[in-house]
Amino acid sequence: MIERLAFLWPEIALFITTCVVMVVGLSRSTGVRRLSALITAVGLAAALVLAVATTPKAGQFAPADGQTLFPDLPVFAKTLFAAVGLLLLPLLVGTVDRDDEREIAAGRRAFDPLRSNRAEFYAFYLFSLTGLMLCASASDLVWLFLALELTSLPTYVMVAISSRRHRAQEAAVKYFFLGALGAACFLMGFAFIYGGTGTTRLNVIADVFAASGINPIALAGLVLAVVGLAFKIAAVPMHFYTPDVYQGASPSVAGMLAFVPKAAGFVSLILVLGTVGWTHGPGGESGHSLPESLRVILWVMAALTMTVGNVLALLQSSVRRVLAYSSVAHSGYMLVALVAGPGDGSAASNGLAAVLFYLLAYGVMNLGAFAVLASLVRRNPKDGSADEIDSFDDLRGLCATRPFHGWTLVVCALSLLGFPPLLGFFAKVPLFTSGIAAGEYTLVVILGLNSAIAAFYYLRLVQMPLLEKPDPTTPVPEPVGVPSRTAAGLLSAAGAVVLIAVAGSLFDQAHRASRDPRTVAPARDAAGEPPAAPPIAARPE
Amino acid sequence: MTTTTDILTLAAAGGIEPGAGLTMLVPVLTLLGTLLCGLCAAFKVKSKLPAWLSVACLAGSFVAIAATYADLGHQQRLAHGFEWINFSYTGTDGQPVTFKANFAFYIDSLTLLWMLFVTGLATLIALYASEYMSHDQGTGYCRFFAAFNLFVFSMACLVMGDNLLLLYLGWEGVGLCSYLLIGYFYTRPSAVAAAKKAFIMNRIGDLGLALGIMLTFVHFGSVEYAVIFEKARPYIDALKAGHLDEIPLVASFIPILLMIGAFGKSAQLPLYVWLPDAMEGPTPVSALIHAATMVTAGVYLIARTYPLFLLSDVALPIVGWVGASTALLAATIGMAQFDIKRIMAYSTVSQLGYMFAGLAVLSPVGGASHVFTHAFFKAMLFLSCGAVMHGFAGQLDLRKLSGLFRMPGWKVVSVAMLVGCLNLAGFPLITAGYWSKDIILAEAFVNMPGVGWVLLITAGLTAYYTFRVFFRVFMGPTHYEPGDEVHGHDAHGHGDAHGHDHGHAHHDDPHGHGPAVTATAHDPHAGHDFHPHAPGWAINTVLAVLALASFAIVPLMLTGEHHGWAGGMVEHSSAAYHTVGTSGYLEAAHGHGPHDHGHTHGHDHDHDHGQAHGTFLGMDPHKVMYYVSGVVGLLGIAAAFWLHLAGRTSAASSRADALVPAMGPLAGWARGKWFVDEFYDALIVKPLWVISHIFHVIDTLIVDGLVNLVGWVPRALGGVLRPSQSGQLHGYAAGMAGGLALLLIIVLWVTLR
Repeated sequence: MIERLAFLWPEIALFITTCVVMVVGLSRSTGVRRLSALITAVGLAAALVLAVATTPKAGQFAPADGQTLFPDLPVFAKTLFAAVGLLLLPLLVGTVDRDDEREIAAGRRAFDPLRSNRAEFYAFYLFSLTGLMLCASASDLVWLFLALELTSLPTYVMVAISSRRHRAQEAAVKYFFLGALGAACFLMGFAFIYGGTGTTRLNVIADVFAASGINPIALAGLVLAVVGLAFKIAAVPMHFYTPDVYQGASPSVAGMLAFVPKAAGFVSLILVLGTVGWTHGPGGESGHSLPESLRVILWVMAALTMTVGNVLALLQSSVRRVLAYSSVAHSGYMLVALVAGPGDGSAASNGLAAVLFYLLAYGVMNLGAFAVLASLVRRNPKDGSADEIDSFDDLRGLCATRPFHGWTLVVCALSLLGFPPLLGFFAKVPLFTSGIAAGEYTLVVILGLNSAIAAFYYLRLVQMPLLEKPDPTTPVPEPVGVPSRTAAGLLSAAGAVVLIAVAGSLFDQAHRASRDPRTVAPARDAAGEPPAAPPIAARPE
Repeated sequence: MTTTTDILTLAAAGGIEPGAGLTMLVPVLTLLGTLLCGLCAAFKVKSKLPAWLSVACLAGSFVAIAATYADLGHQQRLAHGFEWINFSYTGTDGQPVTFKANFAFYIDSLTLLWMLFVTGLATLIALYASEYMSHDQGTGYCRFFAAFNLFVFSMACLVMGDNLLLLYLGWEGVGLCSYLLIGYFYTRPSAVAAAKKAFIMNRIGDLGLALGIMLTFVHFGSVEYAVIFEKARPYIDALKAGHLDEIPLVASFIPILLMIGAFGKSAQLPLYVWLPDAMEGPTPVSALIHAATMVTAGVYLIARTYPLFLLSDVALPIVGWVGASTALLAATIGMAQFDIKRIMAYSTVSQLGYMFAGLAVLSPVGGASHVFTHAFFKAMLFLSCGAVMHGFAGQLDLRKLSGLFRMPGWKVVSVAMLVGCLNLAGFPLITAGYWSKDIILAEAFVNMPGVGWVLLITAGLTAYYTFRVFFRVFMGPTHYEPGDEVHGHDAHGHGDAHGHDHGHAHHDDPHGHGPAVTATAHDPHAGHDFHPHAPGWAINTVLAVLALASFAIVPLMLTGEHHGWAGGMVEHSSAAYHTVGTSGYLEAAHGHGPHDHGHTHGHDHDHDHGQAHGTFLGMDPHKVMYYVSGVVGLLGIAAAFWLHLAGRTSAASSRADALVPAMGPLAGWARGKWFVDEFYDALIVKPLWVISHIFHVIDTLIVDGLVNLVGWVPRALGGVLRPSQSGQLHGYAAGMAGGLALLLIIVLWVTLR
């Protein structure tokens, strides 16, 4: 156990930061309280550095420790989570107790630790990211379950405290109950897997499956686990909560919800499906795929998730609901690559790398869209109250009136649409190539059709700010007073452009991260090839 | 003489080989120039700063090329910039195929010859344009010079690239810059139409070039010259041995496709009609792009891939006949036009025909030499016409201008024009144009006598229409009428209403006040008090330099063993392939034997192959052609003198007018440009217009209907699904549980099936 602690330096750093922030956030001094965001950033930066520096690579494991299914996954995933977490932080700044702090600054009220929730907010954010990182290094079903819950539980609270309005509380309650239902589902699935295989260790489960096949109990467990995890990624049929929660929460927290639980869900899905391996069925050119029953339900989920997400997004007038449904659709896109699996060893056929790279791209570019919504308010001319912008009409002519926000939205929407040559395009291509390589032609066609449908609403997000004239009768949206959110949006838009330059090498990293040495080993033994064989070779069945 | 092996065995190693490094400065400097001009536009610079920046960048490029030439002479070098495209795939036969194109330069004497005059003339013409475009100072000025620099960058890629793909990049780049600069006055509909016409006409040719490059890759497995020539060597050997049948049919298609590209870019039949219209652009653009450099890209392409052109027994004859026909056709049109800039445009088309014919009659030396001399004198002619246009408020009609020679301030222009005309007409001995034209004519009579006769007739016509312009505009009684732009109305398309008045009429210029309009003059703008605006120092300097240069290159045409210096540059490049002991095939294909190019006309030379050689009326063309062509040129000049100068008393009429009725409909047809435009319009544009309208109806009714249906389906589906989002917690939970149950049923169905 001590040895495994050595793999957890980033999580440990985040935990320590969490404790510090919890204390600092309750300080009587305004200046010290203000430090919480900075300390959070430092903690995340430290986690980022530690994730790169201390996570062992493949080959650095002692034999007894080689327990994780994808030995190179943690370093990539943790680096990715810390980096996107750092980007999300400026968006989350100022979500809670801004009004309270203003009153305190004005001297109207004294500081009341019972009313202040700044400490909780950052601490819960860090907790959630800690859980996310723990998911990536999970080697055991129990560990995985706990990590998933550590990711999710803080987000329920964050939704609740993100806004003083009742809708936030309503959203949090919905999110919590439905989340509990989802968790129950995959917990039951984990229990069934344990029942079917007699172990909770992922690599042992994989060995059992490889040695004696998948018995019905374990299969039921896998199905339950997959469906339960679908809640985390907001896939059909567990997607119902998405629009209500995204709209109820403040846009900054909604931006976080679009990434953190989704990332946890996909990493967990990769690990759970990794126990089975993409080596059972007939498949396409690679000659392998998931067992037929799992392939079919993932196939159905992917097709439905894309389609339902996109067609419902078409009908919305609220931008936040559009982004919520599009988040559902993006999960569907990634499920296509998950069905395809790791492929035949070439980067283009590696669906798992496609998923990981898409997570990165989605995390970067989706952030900008939410940042624009979070950083502008529309003031009601009658009573002077300020509402967050949420309708398409609010975006009219934004490129002229608020060029930074307008252009951020244009670039991010185009990137989310997969418009070449932006990052979203380079992220989407591997989804297609891996699907084709795995022979999932129908699914790829559905993916293509859905990308076309998505163009309809994403292009509205381009057209409204860029091509429409500002409406002179309504007031121009005002900045919300948290400049870091605008900065987060600009960073996101810049990322969607700049990361193109390194997209190739980032994808190579993702490709390497999704290697499963177990699937290499038998092939090597059988063919007597040297250890330097292609990363993922087919396991003869 | 360089052997074939030396030319072909080019080390394809990476890095910049010694001596070639400076060439990399050219793209860097020109891109820098583009960028700086763009910045000037962004900062709304109103001065001549972008012009000086451009002149500096272009002069730097010229110096870099000149230094490279001084260093390398006739040697070959590769300069590897960076890896541009490199990917491999498994071909249909299971073998790995690599598509590689580096941003690398292939420097040999042919490249250097082209780059020397491209960068040299670009520098001079940028200097000229600094004054010529001064009425437009501001963003338009910056835009002009940005495109100007970008043009030279593209031209550098085209000429120096070590592979066909980089050539293609440059090819499209110069096309784009040409489009941008023709359409410079973008508020004038005729300029926009001309720009579109040039672009679309070039697309047709570019399709041929693209297909040719693709076929080259498919057949030779590479687009790099070094590799292509290496792989083509067995074919050349087969040619030498006379084994025609060993050359695959596919290989002989490549030159035909490349040729189509060359015809488009170099304005040959049937794709020449864009070039006269391209004169809508500012004159410096006409001089640089549409006379001296870009339009010779087709000649360069054929010269560069000359070994490939030898592989087809029809490609070069087609080139020859197309070139000769274009030369004659354009010359006849030029004889009947009145717009002096348009006459020069047709003469460019005509001279390009000469160059193609030169290439076709196995004389790439003649073709390239003529490109070189033509670049100088045609640029000079255009710049002189531009000075006239600039000074007389856009007046270009030779019936409304006369006797400029005697007007103060116009001496330099007149002399430059005279020098240019003498060159174009091929005035014997003292002009470079005479010597380069002569090479082509002689070789034409040797190898393709039919082409030779057409070219000889064209030479006479050329001398006539050239001096028709000179005698009408610069000699005779002094008379002028200003052009449209004197009103200060928006002829140049910039929104500034009095921009031209300031620029032309009321410019406080020491030379700006010519004599009052002569008594005989009929001034339609009486009372407007028009003063011609004589050119300033920049224009005069450039014209003087060019005039001197065009004489300075005469000795270059006479020295060395390969038809002068330019010929030597060609003979040491891949274009000299045919000199390597050809026999058999070429003989069969072109009806002549091998013959030695190591002679000049001034020397005795022995043709030791006494076989069926084309002759000129039974005489050896090499010996008599300089007398014949000289006499023909002088005859043309004499005809122009008799018809357009002797006894002429007014600007509008001359003796030639009496001849027009005698010629019957011919004169009208020539003036109507043989109605080629109308023919294309009826044959292609109108039918396309009709088809497009039919498709428009189909599009609106059927395609849009389908698209709307497709758009309606997701919405309808969404409408069906929408009630599931009730916002009710228990509804969602039930949905989740139901979905789970459904998925479990699917699993059961799949497993139990």
